[in-house]
Amino acid sequence: MSAVVTEALTRSYPGKRSDATPFVALNHVDLRIEEGEVHGLLGPNGAGKTTLCRILSTVLCPTSGTARVFGHDVDIAPNEVRRIVGVVFGGERGLYGRLSSRQNLRFWAALYGLHGSALRARVDELLERTGLADRANDRVDTMSRGMKQRLHIARGLVADPPLLIFDEPTAGLDPISARDFRALVTDLRGNGHTIILATHDMTEAEALCDRVTFIDHGRVIATENTIGIRNLVARVDAVEARQVPPDTVVGLRGVPGVRAVEQAADGSIRVLTDSEATTRAVLTFLLEAGVSQLNTPGPTLADVYLSLIEDRGMAVR
Amino acid sequence: MTRQFWAAITLQLRLSAATPDSYLVCVTTPLLTTFIVTVDRWAGHQTQIGNAVVAPTLIALWMLALSVAGNAITEDRLIGTLEAQLGAPASLAVTLFGRMCSVSLIGLIAFAEAWTAVSLLGGTGWMPVPHPVVLICCLVTSSLAAAGTATLLSPLYVLLPSARVLQNTLSYPLYLLGGLAVPLTMFPWWLRTVTDLIFLTWSADLMRASLAPAAVTDAPWRLLAIVALGAAGFLIGTVLMRRMIGRACREGTVVLT
Ligand SMILES: Nc1ncnc2c1ncn2[C@@H]1O[C@H](COP(=O)(O)OP(=O)(O)O)[C@@H](O)[C@H]1O
Ligand SMILES: [Mg+2]
Repeated sequence: MSAVVTEALTRSYPGKRSDATPFVALNHVDLRIEEGEVHGLLGPNGAGKTTLCRILSTVLCPTSGTARVFGHDVDIAPNEVRRIVGVVFGGERGLYGRLSSRQNLRFWAALYGLHGSALRARVDELLERTGLADRANDRVDTMSRGMKQRLHIARGLVADPPLLIFDEPTAGLDPISARDFRALVTDLRGNGHTIILATHDMTEAEALCDRVTFIDHGRVIATENTIGIRNLVARVDAVEARQVPPDTVVGLRGVPGVRAVEQAADGSIRVLTDSEATTRAVLTFLLEAGVSQLNTPGPTLADVYLSLIEDRGMAVR
Repeated sequence: MTRQFWAAITLQLRLSAATPDSYLVCVTTPLLTTFIVTVDRWAGHQTQIGNAVVAPTLIALWMLALSVAGNAITEDRLIGTLEAQLGAPASLAVTLFGRMCSVSLIGLIAFAEAWTAVSLLGGTGWMPVPHPVVLICCLVTSSLAAAGTATLLSPLYVLLPSARVLQNTLSYPLYLLGGLAVPLTMFPWWLRTVTDLIFLTWSADLMRASLAPAAVTDAPWRLLAIVALGAAGFLIGTVLMRRMIGRACREGTVVLT
């Protein structure tokens, strides 16, 4: 059975002013996530990732279309869905700062029906597993961002739900905590959890996910497996350069494989290429033209999006 | 469900312990008691001394329930714990009721305070309690009823933000209607049918009776009335809560952004 199926899932929010047209945050999203899969939702800020996560965790109703989690419709059987979905928030939201980690977890565990010694054992086990045992009695609002994130994860795991939804779990996290997080996701996947990972970090998605769905402006642009993502990333590369003479810019556009040349107000340029070979050609071209301030920062999410949209012949908004 | 209820009681005890300013009423209770006793004494009403315990106790209980109930959902919404609670397979009304029970149980400290204050001011030892069992039952049912009624107010504030005005303006009229200030026999008959729907009326009457030497009549029925009114508050609260959640889910306002 598929873990998550959405059909023409649409969510709009009322416009800011009373006369405004509703704002469509999710637009006819069709998605199928298989059991045991780690599925990335990749998209820039405002793409609709959180909206989708909230619908799947039943705290937001679809405007139209359907969403089912292990066969249970979020609209018709929300309580069944709640029992099998764990949400891991990112940031400061969703915890009682005036309580300790242990007190927080005990409360949440009770809401999921745990009690007595089973509850205490589960909470201790989670504190141990997320590396919070030493600080379990500290007030949450005295903990670092990384510590809070561990607590978020422990909270999401409290009922050991088959589907886990992570909404930007590593945003604002230091690299070491982010690395720990990746290890934990790998671990969870090994235990058979299905995982949805909403992120705008392409490297993270590429490293962790079996498949990634690209979302923009509430629409699904593409769903790719790991190989697909690698190819996609390999097909997009970028070169940045400063103090480039105007005729060199014109010449650059003639280099085969150059997708676009973007010029910034400060006189620097950004060249999008379709492969590493083209990137090398561009570097040679610029060096021969006497440009010495060069940089290859790798593709951004926006670059990948641009190429995806071009490939599919969609209009660029 | 009962476990969820206990977890909510514990949660609120801990939250309250971390924000003691919500218990300011416990500081004002002895002052209010002193105020009533001295006014009574000046007017030569020694016999009304029971009211100096009853009124401050119930006012403290009610104010506490009202202020915590008024903020509980709004605060949970701000810090994102409402979203987390709605994502869990548990009834928000039960959690809220549990939290309110712990608030109103703490509110009973006010009784000890008022009783001590009256005893000290009287100067003739501890104030006698002729019917202790009735008194204890009355205190417990009253705090349950306060919690039940508070469960009704919480979603009401979210559904009708203007209802928050009630929190500020309705307290004193309610004390009047509940017979906390003057005996209800002073009211016209039509007003007294309204006052019978407020648990505070029954609580105040019975608590006064438990502190007076005369035998208490119909104590079980009067306790039942207090419990029934509290239960009605809780049930209406559950319905309002369902509406509130449905609306928040449709409008996308579970989280305040
Ligand atoms: N409760 C809301 N009311 C109105 N607009 C909202 C609400 N939540 C999100 N939006 C809008 O919907 C769009 C998608 O938001 P979101 O799902 O949070 O995106 P993401 O998580 O991908 O950054 C954004 O433009 C956001 O402003
Ligand atoms: Mg988001």
